[in-house]
Amino acid sequence: MRQEMLRRYISFGLLAALVLAFSLTSEFFFTSNNIYNLLRESSIVGILAIGITMTIITGGNDLSCGALLGLDAMVISRLLYVNEANVWIAITAALAVSLLGGLFNGFLVAILRIPDFIATLSSKFVFSGLTLMFAIRSATGMITTKTLSDPTIKWFGGKLDFGLYYVTIAFFALAILSQFLLKNTRLGVHTYAIGSNRNSAELSGISYIKTKFAAFVMSGFCAFVGSLFFLGKIRAADTESGIGMEFQAISAAVIGGCAFTGGRGDVVGTVIGVLFLKVLENGVLKFNLSTEMQKVLTGSVIVIMLVFDAAYNKYMQAKTSKSAVIAREKREKKVGAQ
Amino acid sequence: MKGKNLSVAQLLYKYRQLLILAALCIFFAAALPGMFFTMSNFRSILYSMSLYGLMICGATFPVLLGGIDRTVGAVAALSGAICCMIIVNSGYTNQGVVLGILAGVGVGMLSGIIHGVIVAHFDIPAFLLTLATSQVIYGLVQVTTGKELIVVMKPALFTDIGAKRILEIPVPVYVLLICFIVAYFLLNHSTYGRRIYSVGGNREASKLSGINVKRTTITAYMMSGMMAAIAGIVLSSMNQQALSYAADGYENDVLAAIVVGGVSLRGGAGTLQGAIFGSLLIGMLNNGLRLMGVESIYHNFIKGIIIIAAVAADMYSSYQMSGLKHRGGKKHPHKQAAGENQ
Amino acid sequence: MMHNPENLVEMRGIDKRFAHVYALKSVDFEIRRGEVHSLLGENGAGKSTLIKVLTGVYPKDGGEIYFDGKPVEINSRDDAFNLGIACIFQELSLVPTLTVAQNIMLGKEKAKLGVLQKKSMNREVSELIKRFDFPLRAEDVVETLSVAQRQMVEILKALSTNASLIIMDEPTASLSSKESEMLFRIIGQLREKGVSILYISHRLEEVFQLSDRITVLRDGQLVGVVPKEEIVPADVIRMMIGKELSEATASRPLKVSDAHTVLQVRNLTRLGSFEDVSFEVKAGEVLVLAGLVGSGRTEVLRSVYGADPIDSGTVLFEGKPYRHSVSTAIRLGFGLIPEDRRTQGFAPLLSGTRNVAVTNYDKLSRLGVVNAKKEKQLGETMVKLVDLRPANPTVPVGNLSGGNQQKVVLGKWLTRDLKVILIDEPTVGIDVGAKDEIYNFIEQLAARGVAVLLVSSDVAEVLRVATRILVMRNGKVVHEFNDGVVTQENILLVSSGMAEDHRTEAKE
Repeated sequence: MRQEMLRRYISFGLLAALVLAFSLTSEFFFTSNNIYNLLRESSIVGILAIGITMTIITGGNDLSCGALLGLDAMVISRLLYVNEANVWIAITAALAVSLLGGLFNGFLVAILRIPDFIATLSSKFVFSGLTLMFAIRSATGMITTKTLSDPTIKWFGGKLDFGLYYVTIAFFALAILSQFLLKNTRLGVHTYAIGSNRNSAELSGISYIKTKFAAFVMSGFCAFVGSLFFLGKIRAADTESGIGMEFQAISAAVIGGCAFTGGRGDVVGTVIGVLFLKVLENGVLKFNLSTEMQKVLTGSVIVIMLVFDAAYNKYMQAKTSKSAVIAREKREKKVGAQ
Repeated sequence: MKGKNLSVAQLLYKYRQLLILAALCIFFAAALPGMFFTMSNFRSILYSMSLYGLMICGATFPVLLGGIDRTVGAVAALSGAICCMIIVNSGYTNQGVVLGILAGVGVGMLSGIIHGVIVAHFDIPAFLLTLATSQVIYGLVQVTTGKELIVVMKPALFTDIGAKRILEIPVPVYVLLICFIVAYFLLNHSTYGRRIYSVGGNREASKLSGINVKRTTITAYMMSGMMAAIAGIVLSSMNQQALSYAADGYENDVLAAIVVGGVSLRGGAGTLQGAIFGSLLIGMLNNGLRLMGVESIYHNFIKGIIIIAAVAADMYSSYQMSGLKHRGGKKHPHKQAAGENQ
Repeated sequence: MMHNPENLVEMRGIDKRFAHVYALKSVDFEIRRGEVHSLLGENGAGKSTLIKVLTGVYPKDGGEIYFDGKPVEINSRDDAFNLGIACIFQELSLVPTLTVAQNIMLGKEKAKLGVLQKKSMNREVSELIKRFDFPLRAEDVVETLSVAQRQMVEILKALSTNASLIIMDEPTASLSSKESEMLFRIIGQLREKGVSILYISHRLEEVFQLSDRITVLRDGQLVGVVPKEEIVPADVIRMMIGKELSEATASRPLKVSDAHTVLQVRNLTRLGSFEDVSFEVKAGEVLVLAGLVGSGRTEVLRSVYGADPIDSGTVLFEGKPYRHSVSTAIRLGFGLIPEDRRTQGFAPLLSGTRNVAVTNYDKLSRLGVVNAKKEKQLGETMVKLVDLRPANPTVPVGNLSGGNQQKVVLGKWLTRDLKVILIDEPTVGIDVGAKDEIYNFIEQLAARGVAVLLVSSDVAEVLRVATRILVMRNGKVVHEFNDGVVTQENILLVSSGMAEDHRTEAKE
């Protein structure tokens, strides 16, 4: 069986097992309130994870998207609170910042040829540095956080009458859209091709630089969307907003089947990964288990997945190599002759 | 003899780190008369970089192999917690301190060995692996401490590590010096160091030259875990308490210093002293900027830019190198070079 | 100049120089429509260079190319591609995680506003597959396919661009014999459909079986073109080797040494690589493992050295078995000069001294501490020993020329007390002067009583150094030349399976 399918079954199985376990042991779990909240909790990380999935499929990574989300949120807050700008101007500014951030990452990786993770780690510093510079200050010069009361921003934190939050709708819409993008568009195929075999993709006339830029810009866009709903929920941006979220998002992508070598994984897997992480978190909170156990568990799950991927690849390589095929044929012949 | 062969440009390049450091010193000394160039300021620069320096002394090993260890912050937290708990349980005795330090360092080494084994046996990207395992380790720290802050304000044997000065120089600087000498010796004067560079330079060739690549890898991660554990113990002594998130994010600064110090992330090239210079540079920059009244809010930004500049320069120079190598075939796409035989 | 309308490609008077050395000198070459045309020649005869000129990888220094009767300039692979010239390389260039259809359509996807028209693409690819009756489906993911199937995908990829010429460079190198048969059938089909094939293979059997015509190159010059009806294997081989060569370099007297046996290999088998290989190497002997690429020679070498596992059989060193590991072998006095020095031989960023010292730290250190002075001396000794240029052991080996890099790899072992040296294709990609030096080292080693086991595909090289020759084919030792005079022709005929096998069993 192919690695992708196997991984899909495994991650889905894990999610199903977790849901089953929690729903059997707690009448709490399957209340609609809990479900909607759980989905809400999943959504912002999920939106970031969609962007990260794109970059991982190209064989890269994006450690900066959490910091970029924080920067976007800060830009909006500052423009609204300090400059008293129109909310749509603020949002447009944040969008521009996000896209620029994505282009900056693309520049570092595709043009300056800095390895993805070190490039995006540095741009994480840059973005979080910018967040600090934009931070809102009190009269004495101290950095403060201000709660926003703009109705548009509030709207982003809202929900439908029956309880489903807008952020969840946005998350799933974005997921469907990007899954479609990956699987059904030219750009999507090129994204996989660049991640899986850069050389032959380039020989077929696919531009590495364009594809990389596209992935980082999409990741930046996801950070922008995430920042809107983040503000809608929290109503304030502080200097630490978003930072660290990228690790959860990466974890989700890995659990969902993205391979860091590129060319593998998709958004559906990542959504499963996000839900797995958040169901685990939710269950842990509900059962008053320690949150640290949750960390140990998720960390271990990721390590197991990584080891599984590596072992599986080793096995497949051995299986398809010529000498192994001949050796197998010979053994079979021998058995047949006896 | 060797010096004569080098042109001025090459000499400048060879000592670029020292030159940058000196230029920075002169700049700050001129900009901050009587503030920067003082004993107490240098003491504080050294004091604040000693923890990073300790971690660098270990973390450079896996980077030289082409790997990476992002668990240093988590391992420091773990060893600090274990050390402090043992001291508390022993009733704040000196034996407890010795036992605690040994146990803390031992746990760090164990963690390193486990990472080394996984990396050596499976071809897993070390970056991702250590990212995940540092979560596991942070979780374990909280489980062992029960999320409590463990305060250890005695005995003196323990608190002196972080607080005492000998000849006006803080003890952590001495600890760093000792660890640096050990690591420097290992990397530059032992067969083990030669093996590290060889494996980092070409894994397959090393294997065929009889080097046990797996053992080399495992011990490199063990060194990293050990040094991180020592840093953790020093840190908890400085704070006189063990806090699970005390060293959170240190791995980023350690990595930044190593990269700025010219150690190639592809392995096989770079030096420990370079990495320490990198951390001195970042430490001095932070210090000088703070003294100049530049708010700390700019530090992250500047750090990011410095890393980008350093890595871009490294990439550029290695690109130049490869250009020299393919002098004859420069017109042709390099992809074809592989198929030239036959 | 008259153009034959039957010709798809005509290359006239092609020159190609590398730093004043002619790789191709005034070569005429033509391929007709719908024929299978083979290019034959020894290593370095100019086959690859000619193909690279034709596919736009190398610019030509002189001559003209006509395609379809029209003069063309081919300056890049894109140019070649646009003309309808497709290349199937030894290292496959597919994207493993995409489907067959996606690979075939890669870079030229059908899309409306960027949205793929999957159905129509799959249909198109399915029709293409059906046309050739390949055992493939458009939706199959490439990484699940066998090597032979992947090659079919490459062929389809070429055909989908309406290629009228497909260049196949050693396509059977990694195929089993059953899979090769399938490929030959496909080549037949392509020919019937009017596609021209330019076929390059070391396996003369295949070449003679498949080709409509054969063009033979030697030393960058055209020797002749042989149509199918006139193919006489021995003549073609003679054309490759050249008749005018003096007897001295074209043949070599062999003899069995009476020195003591150093290395004894008995019934060594590694399934899928080699089978039931037995031989012995005596002190001072140069035993050459000849044969084609992929016949299992390298694998035998690596297994003897302990770098690869074995399934059965024994290896004895001075009459005693030893632990199957590289470090044990080195301790006993083995050395290995690997096949590809760049990936297996040296660390490019490290200095010559450091590279050479790697195998010598048992003598250069005490209790794990390196004696820097001794290490430095070793570097200097090595420089003198192998005559390294520039004579500076501190230069990173990656900055040296190919020949000097190989000398450093040699230096790793020359500085040790060697008993056995295993050498794999020592002079690939090395210029003539450095080649001679390396042969001298090999001879010096043998004269010192070292047992030398050498793998080489270069027949001239085999004759230059061998005292005894074993020929391997398909993982088995099929022939032994151990006395009398052997010629290039003998070796080529046996290697390619065109002459009777004969193995004089080693006497006890």
